[in-house]
Amino acid sequence: MKDKLKDFFKKDLVQYILKRVLMFIPTLFLISVLVFIVIQLPPGDYVSAHIAALQSEGEYVDADYAADLRAEYGLDQPVVVQYLKWVKDIIWTPTDSAFYRLNHSHHNWKYSFYYGKNVWSVIHDRLGLTIAVTSVIMIFQYAVSIPIAIYSATHQYSVFDYIFSVIGFLGTAIPNFILAIVLMYLSYKWTGNANVGLFSQDILANGINWGNFGDFMKRMIIPIVVIGTSGTCGIIRSVRAQMLDELGQQYTLTARAKGVKESKIVMKYCFRAAINPTVSGLGGILSSLFSGSTVTAMVLNMQIQGPQLYNALSSQDMYLAGAIVMVQAVLVVIGILLADIILAFIDPRIRYSGGTR
Amino acid sequence: MDKDTILKVSDLHVDIKMLEGKLTPVRGVNFEIKRGETLGLVGESGCGKSLTCKAILSINDKKCRSTGSIIFNNEDEGEIDLLKLDPKGEKIRDIRGKHISMIFQEPMVAFSPMYTIGNQINECTRLHITKDRKKSKEISMEMMRKVGIANVEKRYNQYPHEFSGGMLQRALIAMALVCNPSLLIADEPTTALDVTIQAQILELMKELQKTYNMAILFITHDLGVVAKMCDRVAVMYLGKIVESGTAEEIYANPQHPYTRGLMGSVHKIGGKKTERLFSIDGTVPLAMNLPKRCGFYDRCDVRIEGLCNNADPELVTTDGQHQIACFACKNEACQKMRKEAEKRIVLEKTAGKEA
Amino acid sequence: MSKRKKTQEDYYLASQWTLMARKLKKHKLAKVSMIVLAILYFGALFADFIAPYNINSEFPAAYKDTHPTKIHMYHDGEKVGPFVYGVEWVVDKKTFTRSIVEDTSEYFPVGFFVKGDDYKLFGLIPCNIHLFGTKTGSNGSPASSARIYIFGGDQYGVDLFSRVMKGSQVSLTIPFASAIISFFLGVTIGSISGYFGGAIDIVIQRIIEVIGAVPQIPLWMALSAAIPLGISTIKMYFYMTIILSFINWTGMARIVRGKFLSLKNEDYVMAARLSGVSTWKIIWKHLVPGFMSYLIVSMTLGIPGSIVGETSMSYLGLGIKSPATSWGVLLHDASNVTDIATNPHKLIPIIFVTITVLAFNFLGDGLRDAADPYK
Repeated sequence: MKDKLKDFFKKDLVQYILKRVLMFIPTLFLISVLVFIVIQLPPGDYVSAHIAALQSEGEYVDADYAADLRAEYGLDQPVVVQYLKWVKDIIWTPTDSAFYRLNHSHHNWKYSFYYGKNVWSVIHDRLGLTIAVTSVIMIFQYAVSIPIAIYSATHQYSVFDYIFSVIGFLGTAIPNFILAIVLMYLSYKWTGNANVGLFSQDILANGINWGNFGDFMKRMIIPIVVIGTSGTCGIIRSVRAQMLDELGQQYTLTARAKGVKESKIVMKYCFRAAINPTVSGLGGILSSLFSGSTVTAMVLNMQIQGPQLYNALSSQDMYLAGAIVMVQAVLVVIGILLADIILAFIDPRIRYSGGTR
Repeated sequence: MDKDTILKVSDLHVDIKMLEGKLTPVRGVNFEIKRGETLGLVGESGCGKSLTCKAILSINDKKCRSTGSIIFNNEDEGEIDLLKLDPKGEKIRDIRGKHISMIFQEPMVAFSPMYTIGNQINECTRLHITKDRKKSKEISMEMMRKVGIANVEKRYNQYPHEFSGGMLQRALIAMALVCNPSLLIADEPTTALDVTIQAQILELMKELQKTYNMAILFITHDLGVVAKMCDRVAVMYLGKIVESGTAEEIYANPQHPYTRGLMGSVHKIGGKKTERLFSIDGTVPLAMNLPKRCGFYDRCDVRIEGLCNNADPELVTTDGQHQIACFACKNEACQKMRKEAEKRIVLEKTAGKEA
Repeated sequence: MSKRKKTQEDYYLASQWTLMARKLKKHKLAKVSMIVLAILYFGALFADFIAPYNINSEFPAAYKDTHPTKIHMYHDGEKVGPFVYGVEWVVDKKTFTRSIVEDTSEYFPVGFFVKGDDYKLFGLIPCNIHLFGTKTGSNGSPASSARIYIFGGDQYGVDLFSRVMKGSQVSLTIPFASAIISFFLGVTIGSISGYFGGAIDIVIQRIIEVIGAVPQIPLWMALSAAIPLGISTIKMYFYMTIILSFINWTGMARIVRGKFLSLKNEDYVMAARLSGVSTWKIIWKHLVPGFMSYLIVSMTLGIPGSIVGETSMSYLGLGIKSPATSWGVLLHDASNVTDIATNPHKLIPIIFVTITVLAFNFLGDGLRDAADPYK
């Protein structure tokens, strides 16, 4: 048994995956530092923001109250101590704390002044929908772009190749929130309805289930087009270039000289090799999806994380803003990790070299 | 066609369409290969050797168009003109790998890095011999053993990056020979290997040729390799064959100035220390919009002004198997061609004046 | 020597930059893009002169949300050359909706180099000549009573064309300035990472990876929280530039590091080090010029992202804010869909953003092809 375990850990693939997972930890640490810096960025701390808010509502606040608050939140401590406490609170809050009793949660992401709730429950509200929207768009991107890319590469310089190339270029170059504005304008002109991205109360309350999936997809059409276009075009461009590269490789010639069918050459040799950079770009695509959907969601009135982030920022609700950025970054990093692991499975070279890319 | 002849290439042209115009790197190549013999195709880089042999299998790039005829004399199916077949069709695919196979210059890139060596060799077996997985695997492994790969059970499941260059070339040979082809095209199979490995591979090829009685079209620019391997030699320059004959003849009595230049540029054991190696001046011209003249005219040291730059010499048989395309050679056949050409030029000139 | 030989020799002797310029000239789209960008930047430089009005001056309320001014040729059936009419508000007695109609009693010829609002050219030279504008009316009314708004007016009656011109000064220069800052940041940090290697390299690489992993626009938005409220336009401009550079340097640093790793063991670097050249000088004199072309390509391709960044942040109201103007601010004014449905001319700034982004992309693509001069 012990020997079996030892053998298991000696395998290239296992070692590679372990290495990648271990590298995930310092990355998480750095992300948390970055987010903490972002939270600390605005002039003043959130107690002063809180007090300013109270004062604007006409309440009288004395100096002692502020000092007490600062002491309670540990804001009088050095920054490093504050950081450590913040991280510790996110990971684990003791059961006897006020936060736990109020929220029955071990994860204290601090308090959102704008929503009047703890940060985690605010994020949690929209996280599911955000992930659903992002994954639907991502699946759409791959499903549309890869067949087009293969077609374009195998029919280089054909009419369709030119058309797809032009569309692909425009799609990557035109900022998607601009596409959103134009599309919204057009849909308003034609249908008189501007709330293209709004989800139904059912979806917002109960999340996505089989009953409302059709409705959800219907409402996703414009967001898919707007947010998905640039990514789709990007994948088309990169897969096409990669495929052309592979089609010119010596081993396609070898395969042809063996008498292998042309379609099999394309799928078995070229596509398999071309899919690698596409998979390794998964993290980047996820990142650009979050990026693109943020502004677009504002334009289209979609109830995902983008508008939340905007509200948090415009009301200086920094713990919430930081938490949203952090959740997105962690999702991207998980995407990168997954991509690396998938790559290790499909590309023997990476396993072999131990992932030193 | 002679029953002994396995492949006859006549008047093969390969054009490449480019933005700037039409490139013709192969301009009328003629040769034939007999069963079981080795023909060496020699020439410097860019003279059209590789295009010629890829044209035989119709695996040239889409931009290339081949014309002429390439007759393949299949033992059971008779004569087939390979150029007339659809390059993507089933018929030519059945010939590729099964009757005619090819090994490439750089074994490092001839295998896809994504699949095991075994998978890629076995693909060929399964395509052409048997669909039975177990049997085909056995056949493939047997072939790997024959080309001298040790520890086949383990090697079969390894990836190309786990092989050395020499081993990869052995694997490539195994892949080419697994279906027992009657013609093997070897496109500079040893250029990318170091000298000791090179010798081993050549030895292996010779051995296997004997066992399977196959013909080899051996493409190289290395005259040493030619001497070791080939029965007959064809020298190619600028898309044409300029001289061909048995290896002894070509080595002992090179006639064409280009062949002589090639021979002169090789180290000789026992040569004088102070002697400089001969080199041919100039570079190969680009095969685009070539004027009607001898391709070697610019670089030739025995050129005849007024003749060589006005007519393109054809390949004529001098004696036995020796063929030469040159006006300046002293033998009878060449002189006859020269006289005809001179007559034609005079005629053309007067016709031009009258017009 | 034959002509072909001569051109061949030329080719081998030409410097890397000559070759690049030569290849770029062949790339038609890149050439067109370069011309387009030159026009846009030229326009930004002379924005105050090209714009017919100074956007900080008073604007008549009658021009609120006005559609692009019609330029007429015939007045009362008589050809008088290009001119415009003044406008006035008419309230429908039944529906109480207001509409803008032309006042055809008096016409105002349109001309070039006319006197108009005062401005300071380049912020220095006081001037009041504008590229085009209206002249004194046929009945003697002052030129300013009829206005030429070729892109229409915004919700305060300000000429949209003048705002687009003025906005280009911000929208075109912030990305450019941030590209230059990221260039220096990227080269410095990347070269430190590549030249010294070891622990520094590992830390820097991790940082780059993390910054790369955080979605760009959310991070930009979050960083914009650091901008203090109520600061001057110039300071705002400065902050925006810094925020945009904060992300873009990473790509540059990665290229520089990669090149350094491959170049630092070259003999000529060793020779320079042995003759006592300082590390700083080796980096900037011996190493960077070797892959400058790649850096310029990456810089050019980074600019469109920054333009989108600035525009989207200003669009959300997190970046440049009114009264300062940029293309993003103009789009911010056009964010109400019912408003743009009746006033579609407010979408015109989109065309400018798109053209600029496209042009930079094409140029970057052309440069990328050209950067490989022997291909």
